[in-house]
Amino acid sequence: MSQPTVPGPRLLASYIPVSAGPWLSEADQVFDAGTIFDYIDGAGEVYRSYNMKHLVARRFHKDGRPDIVVDAFDMGSAADAFGVFTHDLDGADAAIGQGSTYRAGLLSFWKDRYFLSVYAEEETAETKALVLELGRMIAAAIPGAGETPGLLRLLPEEGLEAGRVRFFHNHSVLNYHFYVADADILRLGQKADAVLAAYRDSGGRSRLLVVSYADAPAAALAGASFAGAYLAGDRRGAGQKTASGKWTAFRVRGRLVAVVFDASSEAAARYRLDAVERLIDGEKRGE
Amino acid sequence: MSHRTITRRDFLKVASAGPLAGALAPALARPAGVPAEKARVVLVRNEDALDPSGAPKAEVIQAMLDDAVRALVGEKDVVKAWKTLIRPEDTVGIKTNVWGKLPTTAEVEQAITRRVMDAGVPEDRLSVDDRGVLRNPIFQKATALINARPARTHQWSGMGSCIKNYIMFTPQPSAWHGDTCADLAGIWNLPEVKGKTRLNVLVMLTPLFHMIGTQQYNKDFTWAYKGLIVSRDPVAADATGLRVLEAKRREHFQDDGLLKPTPHHIQLAETRHHLGVSDPARIELVKLGWSEGLLI
Repeated sequence: MSQPTVPGPRLLASYIPVSAGPWLSEADQVFDAGTIFDYIDGAGEVYRSYNMKHLVARRFHKDGRPDIVVDAFDMGSAADAFGVFTHDLDGADAAIGQGSTYRAGLLSFWKDRYFLSVYAEEETAETKALVLELGRMIAAAIPGAGETPGLLRLLPEEGLEAGRVRFFHNHSVLNYHFYVADADILRLGQKADAVLAAYRDSGGRSRLLVVSYADAPAAALAGASFAGAYLAGDRRGAGQKTASGKWTAFRVRGRLVAVVFDASSEAAARYRLDAVERLIDGEKRGE
Repeated sequence: MSHRTITRRDFLKVASAGPLAGALAPALARPAGVPAEKARVVLVRNEDALDPSGAPKAEVIQAMLDDAVRALVGEKDVVKAWKTLIRPEDTVGIKTNVWGKLPTTAEVEQAITRRVMDAGVPEDRLSVDDRGVLRNPIFQKATALINARPARTHQWSGMGSCIKNYIMFTPQPSAWHGDTCADLAGIWNLPEVKGKTRLNVLVMLTPLFHMIGTQQYNKDFTWAYKGLIVSRDPVAADATGLRVLEAKRREHFQDDGLLKPTPHHIQLAETRHHLGVSDPARIELVKLGWSEGLLI
């Protein structure tokens, strides 16, 4: 008998405790990418954009106290679990799972292929402690660990703003974090892998976007599309000054496209892209 | 629908002309066909709109709605005012919003229902519905619609707006999610709704100005604004509500206040779909009642 490639929601549910202190759980609700709108309406598009497989929602209730809700997502891969976690990075590190934030009653974390949201409908000292305890228990129950996307290794460390790195696939999510264009001028589709990072230097904040396409022709097409729509057809991508006085430049390398937005000077954009190219070369040499 | 691509560079060119222009990047130019006249919007607030638990007070909500409709149509008598919107022979669907954490509220629904009946529509030709509108026989036969929903941020469309409230008139709402709901105004051309909307009520009693997590709601990111925004023009109502939400965000976060994702469906409702007016400069805003913390 062949093994299923996607663990079922029952396995995911088994990682969630049935009680949280004196709070008792209600019946689980289970959704997939086709039914998630029944649970969170259009907001489900965020999770669909990261290729979600299942969502197990478990509500904990105690009379007279705020409910606590666990939303446990099987994202199908560690890369997408990490990616959906990076969609909202506001909050303090809670040191749970492989990356976490806590803010105003909401704990978010990822571990292996799973993304977890543990939420108290009202934050009190008691519910905050329970939310964090639930998170620790769930993280401990998930046996594996996952790897962050390899694309992150192409981000130069110099000037990188910690906590502002996003991984995603489509242009709607890119626009959410950094508006580029209403149309998908970088031809991300839903299959590209992309990482967006913020950098800070004496010239202010700039952005670096690195996209990995299916193959080199796809990357070349994306570069040409971006040049045509954004850089007045400058296919060399050496750098153009925008109305804000900042510089945009891009390079295509194999199946990768790297774009610098809002660099303080043409030289600063070139410096960042050179650093990316060195990291690409290092990856190829297996460093 | 074909249209020219709007990029960040266009945004920056416009933004350099002023901060508000930057927020309106998709509305770079008003196309031919969009009326130049102003759209009237009434913002009414009452400091006494909510009881100590935060629940709406029915009699105050009724008075707020009455004041707003009178000001909107320019008629002193409230029933006469409603009769300029609704005819006795109309079949009326009141499109509400039942999102559990922040619904339209029964008090707003009841205030509208009462005045529709005062305008001469019998109870059996009137219905209030949200998720079931496509199966509801009254909505199927409706000659008039009233659109009422709360203002809130939204994780995919940017803002839960009057425009967006009609998504339940489509058999597959997710079909309208492209480019973070850019073309929601296209729904208003569907035969179920086209030309039927007589009034839009954007409920601003306790708006949600920020969201976090899958549940999208945290009471900490609501505030007692105690207002209603009322207009015949859904785009103008939403554009006004958006100004309030962004002003609140500026006050709270001490940043530019812009919503993420950008609720560009509001501007595109004007520039691409010609549904109404999104440009604040072409909105006649009538402010009534409590002015403390007005924000706009």
